[in-house]
Amino acid sequence: MAKARLIGDRTNKMMVQAMERRAADVRGRVFQITLLVTLLISLFILGVLIVDVVVDAWGVLTGRPSGFLTGTMRSLSGDPKLGVHQALVGTFWIAVFVAVFAFPIGIGAAIWLEEYALKNRFTRFIELNIRNLAGVPSIVYGLLGLFLFVKSLGGLTGGKSIASAGITLAILVLPIVIITAQEAIRAVPQGLKEGAYGVGATKWTMIRSQVLPYAAPGIFTGTLLSMSRGIGEAAPLLLVGAVSGRLGSNPGFFDFSAINAEAFMAMPVIIVEWVQNSGRDPGFAEAAAAAIVVLLVFVILMNAAAIFLRNHFEKKRG
Amino acid sequence: MKLRKLLVLIIGLIATFALVAAACGNDDDGDATPDTAGQADAGDTVDTGDTGDTGDDGGQQAAAQEAPAGSVSGSVTISGSSTVEPISVRVAELFEDVQPDVSVTVDGPGTGDGFKLFCEGETDISDASRQIKSSEAEVCAENGIEFVELRVAIDGIAVMSGEGNPVECVTFNDIYGLVGPESTGFGSWSDAGSLGLATSDLPDVDLDIYGPGEESGTFDSFIEIVLEDIADERGQDAITRPDYNANADDNVIIQGIQSSDTSFGWVGFAFAAHASGVKLLDVDGGGGCVSANADTIASGEYPVSRSLYIYVNKAKADANPALVAYVDYYMSDDGLGTAVSEVGYVNLTDDAKGATRANWAGR
Repeated sequence: MAKARLIGDRTNKMMVQAMERRAADVRGRVFQITLLVTLLISLFILGVLIVDVVVDAWGVLTGRPSGFLTGTMRSLSGDPKLGVHQALVGTFWIAVFVAVFAFPIGIGAAIWLEEYALKNRFTRFIELNIRNLAGVPSIVYGLLGLFLFVKSLGGLTGGKSIASAGITLAILVLPIVIITAQEAIRAVPQGLKEGAYGVGATKWTMIRSQVLPYAAPGIFTGTLLSMSRGIGEAAPLLLVGAVSGRLGSNPGFFDFSAINAEAFMAMPVIIVEWVQNSGRDPGFAEAAAAAIVVLLVFVILMNAAAIFLRNHFEKKRG
Repeated sequence: MKLRKLLVLIIGLIATFALVAAACGNDDDGDATPDTAGQADAGDTVDTGDTGDTGDDGGQQAAAQEAPAGSVSGSVTISGSSTVEPISVRVAELFEDVQPDVSVTVDGPGTGDGFKLFCEGETDISDASRQIKSSEAEVCAENGIEFVELRVAIDGIAVMSGEGNPVECVTFNDIYGLVGPESTGFGSWSDAGSLGLATSDLPDVDLDIYGPGEESGTFDSFIEIVLEDIADERGQDAITRPDYNANADDNVIIQGIQSSDTSFGWVGFAFAAHASGVKLLDVDGGGGCVSANADTIASGEYPVSRSLYIYVNKAKADANPALVAYVDYYMSDDGLGTAVSEVGYVNLTDDAKGATRANWAGR
């Protein structure tokens, strides 16, 4: 009886202690709640932004969605031909240029740095510089694009053209592509590589059959996110020479002659332009909001493609 | 499970995109019909024109000045002032209906940048919110570029207050004291005198300021015309005070000015001209008080106004019929009249329009 009672007491005390300790963990709770609040704040701000833009854009998007997608830059917001077609074509081709130039070069450089480069001071120096380049303000890349692609290589790119803009933005996202691809390649388990060597694979076969398939989902996510960043840039495009008032031509999506034509437009620039125009003609505020929604949908579609590709490769890896 | 959800989301998004694309496709067809119809019309006009006019084309040219619809093709490149840009763009849009095969591209980096490109022969036309500087003209001359200067419109800004304000007339110094960079925090009209500038005797009444925001061309024009010189002399940045009610919508600015008897504000004259419940202040730019009305602005007497110009490269005009057709159209009533007023600027007087047209004809 006494013994049982003793045990009961002890359990009781432990229970109380445990409960007290739980109750005393106020800091832990506060920390947890703070984290939740920070998440909610960022979601809230994002939500407010999206709702605000969509509300502003509602009239245009529901009133004449196809006219807005096929229309061109106009001087009056009430013009029924006002639309984003030229800018959408420009942004589409800029995205293609980024994909064609930045992705192979960036992924190639990442494979070299991770798999082939000697781990010495020189490699570390290069990696440090790539990281610094990723933090360089985008306007600086715009200057580079202006002097290199518009002026010096104008004969090749057509001057202030989609080609110049596309290559400039490809270079802008290149460091980000390299860094994300490097991270993805680094995450490949060492055992996988050693296993490949174990069955007699050469380095090239090992990379092709083990490293790349395993790293592909990460590489795709990183590269396509960097592309989303690239096509949202306005500052470099203003320097490389996106027109602001009127673009005489309205090429189709697959009109290749437009790529090195001496004038172009892109979504972020048309948004800047229309926001400025709203001072003179308030109706442009609505058009600018609608253009933002179009750009958002464009980016979401690209990210959806990224998720799709990632899942595809993840399944393969599985 | 998660994967499946994502897949559903993606398929949904793709389906939406496909629908939108399909809608676009349909609309392309829809749009194409009137376009081709328009082109056919233009073609018809040319045909009928050709049959009768081929012989006396030379004789008609001087009188009619305009090439038959749809008869020219080519491209025109314009750069320069962002203030003039909307006029040139509007003219191009109206011109598009007459000559659909001419592609006009207009950019607006600023008057100075525009002249740089123009004097290197990069552009056909330079938009300018001031006359060309001698230093810029020298560059043009060095590069052998001859140009013709055409005055196309007037940019006037009305300075306003509420109807009950005893103040009738303000000087540039007064305006600088009320809204200039050094006036931040001033809550009364009489504070304008505290900067040591020679100002009028302004009453000690509340000062509520309404004006366009930075994104507006009127904001820039106002600074360049009124504040810049005084700010430069005093070693200040040419900006306004930051603490006033800025709005992009001229209607809201007018409402703000109406709301107080002792408000102060400014908007483009073309807009202010038909606003009620506000008092347009006279402005003294050094030559006495001048009231703001269409006549004083058109004549240049009203000091818060400036002329807007286009500069056309003569050699390019000789070589490019599309450029000539565009400027011809610019000089017509559709250009100097309709387009100018549609984008909110003041038309030149008929005499001044005549002078501009004569300049172009006599290039």
